[in-house]
Amino acid sequence: MPNPQKIPCVVGKVCSHGHQVYTVELIPTRPIPRFYSGQFLHLALDVYDPSSFWPESRVFSIESSPSERDRLKITYSVIGKFTTRMESELTPGKQVWVKMPYGNFFIDSKSPVVLIAGGTGITAFASFLENCKESSENKILVFYGAKERSLLLYRDFLNESKKNKNMQTYYFIENDEKYLEDEIPGQLSVEEIFKRIEAPSLQKYYLSGPPLMLKYLTNGLQEKGISLESINIDAWG
Amino acid sequence: MDIRKEILELTRKYYKEKFGGYAYDPQKDLVHYAGRVFDERELVNLIDSSLDFFLTANRYAEEFENNFAEYLGLSNAILVNSGSSANLVALSSLTSKKLGERRLKPGDEVITVAAGFPTTVAPIIQNQLVPVFIDVNLGDYTYISERLAESISPKTRAIFMAHTLGNPFDLDSALQLANTHDLWLIEDNCDALGSRYNDKLTGTFGHLATSSFYPAHHITMGEGGCVVTNDDEIAMIARSFRDWGRDCYCSGGESNTCGKRFSQQFGTLPKGYDHKYVYSHIGYNLKVTDMQAAIGCAQLEKLNGFIERRKENFAQLWDLLSPFQDRLILPKATKNSDPAWFAFPITVRNDAGFSRNQITQFLESNRIETRNLFSGNLLRHPAFEGINCRVVGDLLNTDVIMNNTFFIGVYPGIKIDQIEKIADVFTRFMGGERG
Repeated sequence: MPNPQKIPCVVGKVCSHGHQVYTVELIPTRPIPRFYSGQFLHLALDVYDPSSFWPESRVFSIESSPSERDRLKITYSVIGKFTTRMESELTPGKQVWVKMPYGNFFIDSKSPVVLIAGGTGITAFASFLENCKESSENKILVFYGAKERSLLLYRDFLNESKKNKNMQTYYFIENDEKYLEDEIPGQLSVEEIFKRIEAPSLQKYYLSGPPLMLKYLTNGLQEKGISLESINIDAWG
Repeated sequence: MDIRKEILELTRKYYKEKFGGYAYDPQKDLVHYAGRVFDERELVNLIDSSLDFFLTANRYAEEFENNFAEYLGLSNAILVNSGSSANLVALSSLTSKKLGERRLKPGDEVITVAAGFPTTVAPIIQNQLVPVFIDVNLGDYTYISERLAESISPKTRAIFMAHTLGNPFDLDSALQLANTHDLWLIEDNCDALGSRYNDKLTGTFGHLATSSFYPAHHITMGEGGCVVTNDDEIAMIARSFRDWGRDCYCSGGESNTCGKRFSQQFGTLPKGYDHKYVYSHIGYNLKVTDMQAAIGCAQLEKLNGFIERRKENFAQLWDLLSPFQDRLILPKATKNSDPAWFAFPITVRNDAGFSRNQITQFLESNRIETRNLFSGNLLRHPAFEGINCRVVGDLLNTDVIMNNTFFIGVYPGIKIDQIEKIADVFTRFMGGERG
């Protein structure tokens, strides 16, 4: 991991997706350090005095591509005090601090992968998927679930990736009555996922999403004989 | 904050009063072989950092690591408390289980030289690896290229050696051999910051490299050193070895930067055991303070100027001492290199008519500092007697260095009047003056 750096940033665009889910663009005041797809940053809302301690912060997956050194993108949903503050304070022009990069949730692009994302957990894969939009050496299966169709924030983006013949995406939607061809009713489940994978025991699995989902799917994969070495979890806690 | 500004302004004044206006007095002052070169900026940074009273590595350490990595064009710079610690961390990192089959294991061989500083070799022994010694050239004091290929055995796993006194070793041969035999290459760049080989900075060729910031070196922070690498996995391992061997990579005063402090499984520990106290290596505590890094930040800004001054001093000394080449072997740069010389090494020829100790005593008595080329032959020192090692061929030149070689300074603190003094003393000695 490259040396983490603390960098002042200015909030650029803020995009509301409804249901208190937002995507925020941050403009760093100097080029950001090298990072890898799947890594994350810490965001602090309070003023940081470099001679003192780092203020309260939260972690967010970096959605922008590692090739972009002058822009950062994160997505969050309002679920607690800090993200409530973010909702009210993150407006264009506000100065914030980030420190980055962190994390070792790297996706091994040298082998076939199964990516399983719940809600905003998809952001952990965003940077990787951005690089695979046109093509990839190996097969990529994406299983992406949300409570409602409108919360599948990356659907348009993933649809653009259809050019990549090695990538196949399935959407799980919990609350709806009618479903499209590539949609599966209900929550993400190992049973449904395995119906769509050839040779499940030979795959590498990458999971990102809410803690309960991660626990449920990890247990499910293990019950199906998948070893923990083949399961990579972007877990927070 | 006004008080702080006032303190820093007073610091600038203090510098001028205490250190400003120094003039070399040839009748009284030593011509040092090395020393710290600084102005009010180092002093101001030091006081500024002390007023933060963060004490452990913080903003200045972060700034230094980032700027130092950028200077070398690498992604990782890991500050430690000395160049020797950097060597220890660098080599120990390659023993990590995280590297799987690539890791160095006890009994693996590491090619090095005996004509150098002990702490290039000590980490090899400390990690239960086997040093393999090859001889060096006189004049450039780096390994004899032909000997390198001869030194390979089925157990050879790494090359770890220094760019002696700033002079790059034959990196073409070392890289070729490393690639052919899948060896680790570690550059001890402690004496060679700013040196170039094939127009590329030394310290950027190997899997890892080390720097020293002891006052004698190209830049200083008092005590300090750095491990650099472009390999992010190795960098994480190196930080772990530096920071007690812990798995957690939070900086001092930070917690849970990974976001998984209480949710991971390690070894047979209970799931969720506090990541801050999970240890993945048998490590050390080799960190710097922010005060040291603060000095380093000011020094780093001056590095290019320092390098130029070293090269100028070296060139001037070479011109002034070249008439004595019949009795002295003067230093020469390795092929394809542009050294940022640490010092000016000289070997007294066997038929010179005087000994190394005679000339160094004369120089010292005339207030010109000299040093031997560190250990000379490391294998002849008490600590290294009987170590488990292999010697390829002989170490004849290494013994010549032990008996006949010394160096004088080229550091930026040496000005033209001191260079002229050095030349004058040499001329007097060569003219037969003794005592």
